[in-house]
Amino acid sequence: MTAIQIIFILSALVILGAAVMVVSTRNLVHAALYLVATLFGVAVLYAILDATFLTVVQVVVYIGAIAILFIFAIMLTRREMRDQGEQLNKGWGAAALIGLLTFGGLFMLLNNWRGVNATAAALPSGFDGVVELGTALVSTDAFVLPFEVASVLLLAALIGAVYVAGTKK
Amino acid sequence: MNPTTFAAILPEVLLLVLGILILVVEPFWKEKDRRNTGWLTFGGLLAILVVSLLAGRPGEPTSVFGGTIRFDWLGFFFKMLFIFAAAMTSLFMMDVEKLGRRGESYLLLLASTLGMNLMASASDLVMLYLAIETTSIPLYVLSGFIVDDEKSTESGFKYLLFGAMTSAVMLYGFSLLFGFTGTTNLYEIAAAVAGAQVSTVTALGVIALVLVGIGFKVSLVPFHFWAPDTYEGAPTPVAGFLSTASKAAGFAVLVRLFFIAFAKNGLAPDWTTGLAALATLTMTLGNLVAMTQTNIKRLLAYSSIAHAGYVMIGVVAFSNLGVTSVVFYLIAYILTNLAAFGIVAVFSRVAGSDKISDYAGLSRRSPWLAMAMLVAFLSLAGMPPFGGFVAKVFVFAAAVKSDLVWLAVVGVINSILGVYYYLTVLKVVYLYRMEGEAEESHPIPLTRPYGIALVVLSLGVLLIGTLFAPWFSASGAAALNLF
Amino acid sequence: MLFEYIAIATLIVLAVIVALIAIGLGELFGPKKKMEEKSMPYESGMTPYGPGTRRMPVRFYLIAVLFILFDIEVVFFLPWAIVFRQLGLFGLIEMAVFIAILLVGYIYAWKKGALEWE
Repeated sequence: MTAIQIIFILSALVILGAAVMVVSTRNLVHAALYLVATLFGVAVLYAILDATFLTVVQVVVYIGAIAILFIFAIMLTRREMRDQGEQLNKGWGAAALIGLLTFGGLFMLLNNWRGVNATAAALPSGFDGVVELGTALVSTDAFVLPFEVASVLLLAALIGAVYVAGTKK
Repeated sequence: MNPTTFAAILPEVLLLVLGILILVVEPFWKEKDRRNTGWLTFGGLLAILVVSLLAGRPGEPTSVFGGTIRFDWLGFFFKMLFIFAAAMTSLFMMDVEKLGRRGESYLLLLASTLGMNLMASASDLVMLYLAIETTSIPLYVLSGFIVDDEKSTESGFKYLLFGAMTSAVMLYGFSLLFGFTGTTNLYEIAAAVAGAQVSTVTALGVIALVLVGIGFKVSLVPFHFWAPDTYEGAPTPVAGFLSTASKAAGFAVLVRLFFIAFAKNGLAPDWTTGLAALATLTMTLGNLVAMTQTNIKRLLAYSSIAHAGYVMIGVVAFSNLGVTSVVFYLIAYILTNLAAFGIVAVFSRVAGSDKISDYAGLSRRSPWLAMAMLVAFLSLAGMPPFGGFVAKVFVFAAAVKSDLVWLAVVGVINSILGVYYYLTVLKVVYLYRMEGEAEESHPIPLTRPYGIALVVLSLGVLLIGTLFAPWFSASGAAALNLF
Repeated sequence: MLFEYIAIATLIVLAVIVALIAIGLGELFGPKKKMEEKSMPYESGMTPYGPGTRRMPVRFYLIAVLFILFDIEVVFFLPWAIVFRQLGLFGLIEMAVFIAILLVGYIYAWKKGALEWE
């Protein structure tokens, strides 16, 4: 086993374990912290995949901002941090079945793909994903339009957020 | 940037400029003048429509911006439809309390329209996903816009939850598509899918994932659960916009994605069979459940689910005529359903109720409104000489031509089911009386924006039903760009 | 390939070890006399009153949402800034458009009082 495989297995265990804890713990703040652990594990996966930029985004946006938002939301909505109610509702059996079927389907899907066992080709030396991305983002032959539309999307989200959270009832 | 490249995004750029103009102007208006934001939006959208029709028409289909969008008649046609629908919606919004005097609502409407425009022309998965989100996020906020109304909040929240979930599943499908083919461009994906790179089973799996997201947008059974609750609680003009423009945008994506990326021989029969089954389910369930509704907005929600099923027949036909009939159907449907929701908005504003039984005596309270309702509902039911009739005929004809006689028969049976509940509403409007009250003392005044919009839409429905040839040939020209 | 991350990994491991040592030493050697006062939440000497988990004003949430939106904006700056010199004027203009659109939203939020703490 190579070092990378070991790191992968460790982070996969952290991701899955923490993810299970997110939905099973009764303390909502703990759930949010477990979510941070999950997101961090995903960041490690990105790092293994040589996706430097995504690693940074994952840490800066997800752990840095979205997790904080979650914690704020929890403190905003719940008087009681501890949920006393039943953790499963009556649809859980069906939901579990659908979840299993979906997982089985996706597993089959990926197994059917010829590339599933192929090793990824090494990146050419001197390749820098961030540079490529930066160039592509503003190139009219690549992603300049999505880039500008992202700004419109953020604007709409900004206005919507200010409206919803800022309007007095 | 050459002129073609700029023309390809002309409507979007103008929409953005209009949106920013509203943001800048609105805070400086006094509270009582803010209704004018609606007029500004309406006038601006009309101007955009005219300018785009004059200066933004496509020539030969071209890929611009590195293939992220496609500049062709299909996209252009849909864009004009969305801008028209947004203009009508802005008129309907103006006199709705807590919605019509806020600049945010119009800005969100414009942002959503911009997203729809890009949905109609996107030919790259990255662009497509961003376009879908740019469409959806403003609509989530608009559905829950009346923040002190629990129904509206519930509506926005349900729409958001279902939307986020299905969009995540679709995004997963997109990521697999990118993983399997190594590209995000639809045409390159088409080549990779047509080659041996992606097996049929894998492709079908990806199609299923992608269909979850699009099925949600067009409210296809079994992804329709959100529609009745969302339409019921959302401000009525917003519900109208959701059920028309947003749905048409979903179909624009569906047609482009499936007819280009998954058109491979040997793959198409598989997904058309699946979609045919879904179309049957959608029509039947929508119509059957609509019969039992007592709330007019829920009735229209189920009716709009059923209509998604009819449109799907045109998609399943998988032919030039099929796409033509889809485009034509959507024109007729957008006009008709916008009118229907507009009438509901007018009525509920005065009467404060959406119950069908409260429509009793409407023909005496406001003969003109009742007349508009007659036009809209008969067109929805598919009666000549209104747009809905011709649209249905074309869709069924497309099915028959593609040897799907059974599907056409299912469609016809469903239309008959539909006639029943549309006529039930009209019966209440025309034959029932308000109990123990003189109807004349309860008039339903039409404000100017409502009047303009309803006249335009009713005439449009009639026009499409009688002089359908130019619309049909335009739809045909749009459809040709796909093949 | 992963060598670049060794510094970060080392930092994380060291941080955990230092924290464990700091807590562990106190836990091992510190005297433990339990009193009611000691188990109270520390509020700079004040006696705390009311439940510790009161609802926060919605303002916090709004600020957090705005933070996320501008955080995402910053994320777009990063790859752009790295290749800024190669991109030249055109790249600058495109970024200016990107920022201008969001700036309008920012000014709007400001004007509507979303940034004020009443």
